[in-house]
Amino acid sequence: MLLLCWQAILYSQERFPRPEFESGYVYATNQMPTQRAPGWEYLDVTVLVIALAVTSWLALKKRSRQGLIWMSVFSLAYFGFYRQGCICSVGSVQNVALALFNDGYTIPLSALLFFIIPLIFALAYGRVFCAGVCPLGAIQELTGFSPLKLNKRVEIILASIPFIYLALALLFASTNSQFIICRYDPFVGIFRLNASYTMIIFGVLLLLAGIFVNRPYCRFLCPYGVLLNVFSRFAGRHLTITPAECTNCRLCENVCPYNAIIPSDLDQKKENPEKPRKQFIIYLILIPVFALTGALVLYNLAPALARVNTNVRLAGEIRTEKETGIESASKAVIAFKEAGKTEAELFSEEQVIIQRFIKMAPWAGVFLGVSLGIGMISLTVRTRRDEYKPHKGKCYSCGTCFKYCPVKVTT
Amino acid sequence: MDEEKNKYQSRRDFVKKAGKLAIIIPLALIPVALSKKVSASGYVWQIDPFKCTQCGQCKTNCILTPSASKCVHAFQLCGYCDLCGGYQRQGVKNISTAAENQLCPTAAITRKFIEEPYFEYTIDEALCDGCAKCVKGCADFGNGSLYMQIRHNLCVNCNDCSIARTCPSNAISRVSVKNQYIQKDKRQK
Amino acid sequence: MNLKLTEKDISLLKVISQIAGGFTLIIALTMIFSLIQLKVINPLDNPALLSVKEQFDKDPANGAKAEQVRAMDLMARKAYFSSRWQVEAGSYLLLAGGIIFILCQRLISGQEKRNPLFPGEKPVTSIQKRGERKYLLVAASVISITAVAASFIMRTELPGLSGQSSSISTEEKRSKETAPDPDKTNYPFFRGQDSRGIAGGSGYPTEWDGASGKNIDWKITTPKPGKSSPVIWDDKIFITGAQDKTCEIYCINKKTGAILWTGSASGIQGEPSVLPEMDQEAGLAVSSVATNGKEVCAIFANGNILCLDMDGKLKWSKNIGLPENTYGYSSSLLIYKKLLLVQFDSNTKLSLIGFDIESGEQKWETVRKGRPVWSSPVLGYFNGSPQLVINGNPAVTGFDPITGKELWAVECMSGDVVPSVAVNGTMVYAVTDYAKLVAIKPGTGASIIWEDNTFTPDVSSPVANDEFLFISTGNGDVACYNAAKGDTLWTHYFMDQFYASPIIADEMVYLLDRSGVMHIVQAKPKFQLVSESALGEATDCTPAFSDKKIYIRGKKNLYCISKN
Repeated sequence: MLLLCWQAILYSQERFPRPEFESGYVYATNQMPTQRAPGWEYLDVTVLVIALAVTSWLALKKRSRQGLIWMSVFSLAYFGFYRQGCICSVGSVQNVALALFNDGYTIPLSALLFFIIPLIFALAYGRVFCAGVCPLGAIQELTGFSPLKLNKRVEIILASIPFIYLALALLFASTNSQFIICRYDPFVGIFRLNASYTMIIFGVLLLLAGIFVNRPYCRFLCPYGVLLNVFSRFAGRHLTITPAECTNCRLCENVCPYNAIIPSDLDQKKENPEKPRKQFIIYLILIPVFALTGALVLYNLAPALARVNTNVRLAGEIRTEKETGIESASKAVIAFKEAGKTEAELFSEEQVIIQRFIKMAPWAGVFLGVSLGIGMISLTVRTRRDEYKPHKGKCYSCGTCFKYCPVKVTT
Repeated sequence: MDEEKNKYQSRRDFVKKAGKLAIIIPLALIPVALSKKVSASGYVWQIDPFKCTQCGQCKTNCILTPSASKCVHAFQLCGYCDLCGGYQRQGVKNISTAAENQLCPTAAITRKFIEEPYFEYTIDEALCDGCAKCVKGCADFGNGSLYMQIRHNLCVNCNDCSIARTCPSNAISRVSVKNQYIQKDKRQK
Repeated sequence: MNLKLTEKDISLLKVISQIAGGFTLIIALTMIFSLIQLKVINPLDNPALLSVKEQFDKDPANGAKAEQVRAMDLMARKAYFSSRWQVEAGSYLLLAGGIIFILCQRLISGQEKRNPLFPGEKPVTSIQKRGERKYLLVAASVISITAVAASFIMRTELPGLSGQSSSISTEEKRSKETAPDPDKTNYPFFRGQDSRGIAGGSGYPTEWDGASGKNIDWKITTPKPGKSSPVIWDDKIFITGAQDKTCEIYCINKKTGAILWTGSASGIQGEPSVLPEMDQEAGLAVSSVATNGKEVCAIFANGNILCLDMDGKLKWSKNIGLPENTYGYSSSLLIYKKLLLVQFDSNTKLSLIGFDIESGEQKWETVRKGRPVWSSPVLGYFNGSPQLVINGNPAVTGFDPITGKELWAVECMSGDVVPSVAVNGTMVYAVTDYAKLVAIKPGTGASIIWEDNTFTPDVSSPVANDEFLFISTGNGDVACYNAAKGDTLWTHYFMDQFYASPIIADEMVYLLDRSGVMHIVQAKPKFQLVSESALGEATDCTPAFSDKKIYIRGKKNLYCISKN
């Protein structure tokens, strides 16, 4: 039956002939309302640049926490509720990955700009994007009422999740399988006031947890944060706790909700440089080992990961159907059978996709291994600090610490 | 002591400079690599009605309630039949606009008599919820003039369309903003 | 904001925030409930409404039922739209409540005096760092080990990375097949090619008269009587006949009517000594012969199967067991590729058996469920693959002709199922007397598309092409339906009963009634009688068409009719 319809539709044969009207009936036309004009996307990019500039000024020059809060409110309203959270810089990494590795997709310029511009600002001024522009960060910032401090060791474990998330997101996006960042974005449901109830519940629970463990998504999940972290470490100018020189009064030591303040170690016993140097070298040598292990682990995991792709899943279902003889009731299998694609085509497509995964997954493994190695190294490097400074990679430039520093600049 | 500190500082500076270069280069290379693959305009999601199997997931999987995908009528393709496969339920005995005969659960299709024996069927978009029952009926028994399309005044244009993700026949894809709709009556396939 | 708020203000803010918080929570819960109601318990598809609709369908004239359906439909729609409205409005209320709550909380916490905490002892950084390193390494190793374990566990579910899966796919890859066009010469099974009831070629005679011999090319007496319909390959006609226990197959030259050879199907090992219960008039030779140009096979109602080559030399023979059923075994044979397909119906066992046509070895047997029937299998091509469809009791079932595997079944029949199914490019049509006519869309999830119970034949099998379905009944009614939608396009009452199945040839439908009169109508949506020709003898068998000639088997004689 359906085969007949397909043929009828495909070859424009109609089952019932067109009517010949005698009463002068005029065919009605359908309205086809279009999306808002593409030019508006460039307005968004402009707003992004201006917001980033203003936030940088507020964080570095004016040093006003209130100002940053109002910036968060503005970003939440504009990028969050008005633009409904899409397209955001966090998700744009996937678009870039998709465009780099697939010929069929051209990335819109605005998406590319959303990806690059916050990184440029991070390179210049630190994580000002997180401070007052990212709507996800804004909603977490505004609901973080009573921050608790987390044990540093627990924190370091949780802080490795974004790396894995980023690696997987890039892998799935570049093989054109899925955009997992968008799929599991907890806050976009709140911005749209519309989502599946599971997503809204997840978002609300995360926000409720965020009242105590501030910025949970930023710290423990955000994949774009990995990139911002790296870029921010090399920032030309970064937010400082004190407006002038640090007096080591220690009043700001425990005020950062994100544990991003690194105390000075002037009063600490000077370590024997031998041990950390040795460890540094060991970990430096271990980097390729980590990279290789990561590559191997992910190489093995690649076929399993390939199942995220719908075509691979469909091929698997058809295969099970053949082996067990039980007809699959899934809509995808039924639609596949009606569509007329042969099973051989599907299986060869499946092989192509699995091969792609096998090629790309080891690189994700290398990335993870290298990140682990660098992370370990940064934990061995001796600090010689004589000032209290925020950790350039972890500091969100939120300005909470400003009011605790007693140093005032006299003009 | 100072010397050591200076050496230390210069080493640090060197590492810092090297690191900065190491990350600026890929950042600069990305737009260059993508220069051919950048489009000035955006994209929208689009249902290909020739691939659609009317599975009904457009209604349930869209993150919006009601769904942004609705049924559209290609009047030029319609047969204007008395017994409309998309309007009447299957096996209905007497043809009328009565509720027990209608296929559409929200009564979004209106039937108007034009002249013997032709009837015009129009869809009220405000009532349509995208369940694709009428599309299936029309495809099975009619000319296939009713088809699903994503309405772009409603669609939020997610980066990852949740209907596209689960479409069993991969009928939804990203297309350029320039051709947002496939209009069945204008398309020669 | 350096607002100085008094104690009273703060307590007021606290109260407001609590109210806002509580309000938000309540709205959130109701909204989630509404959302669940909308998406999961879809009010438009609720089972009560569906069952009322079903009841109405069974009894469409009932006005009260119609009213009930309307009322319930309206209620369902109201529920749906109100849920939708609730969700929309609720989300805004939620947002408002949330904003108020957050605002109050911020103001409150902003006012909280935070005394500068003088921190305790500073932790030794090197020890701190060592601890962090340890934890990080441990976490990383745990994750890697789980990943490796997962990859090994999941590996077994996936195709091998090398050629393993491709070998599976080539082995089972079958190129898409479509129904071959009916041949103009060969009429190899009961009701022609694939048993579909459509004859190939054109230019068949439309007028003849048995009494005067007009257009009758030749006429011979069949040596032994039987009810099997003639089957043709090249120049040979095959029919079977039986007298008491003696079963024979005859090969007749279609040009002259001379009997070329006779094959004996008696004395086969395993043959039952007692005649089975059957219609006395019918005899043992009821099933039609099947041929593929190389072999010709016949089956008799005592379970004897005979396979000969085209010259009458025996290739193999066997007895597959005595089929015990009320009217006597009558299913005709089919050949698909290298398999001889036998629909076996006995009170004790129902099955579909595939024999290798050259050796007679049984390749597979698929047991069928239900009660024995007297229909014959039909080969249809759907979605590019062939399916063997059997009209059964209670289910119409589709099988894979190569493996015998059951593909789908739809339960819709009851009673004495005799007519075989009709197939076209996309649908299967099954009918039984005192039951109904159903149009089934075959394949996975096969379902009934439309049904009708106005005309139900007791013996004659319907025939369909992609546009029309034709039925002739034992009352003398002939009906034409729209094949896709089931609308009755025309009906006509002929005085005589129809047992022979209608055949579509030359865009005309040839309907042979029991008295030997062939009624020919146009295969069109409007009734148009072309001609009526009398043979002069009672006929029950379905005619065969080949090379512009029609071959009809009457009670005693076999006729060849041509235009001359």
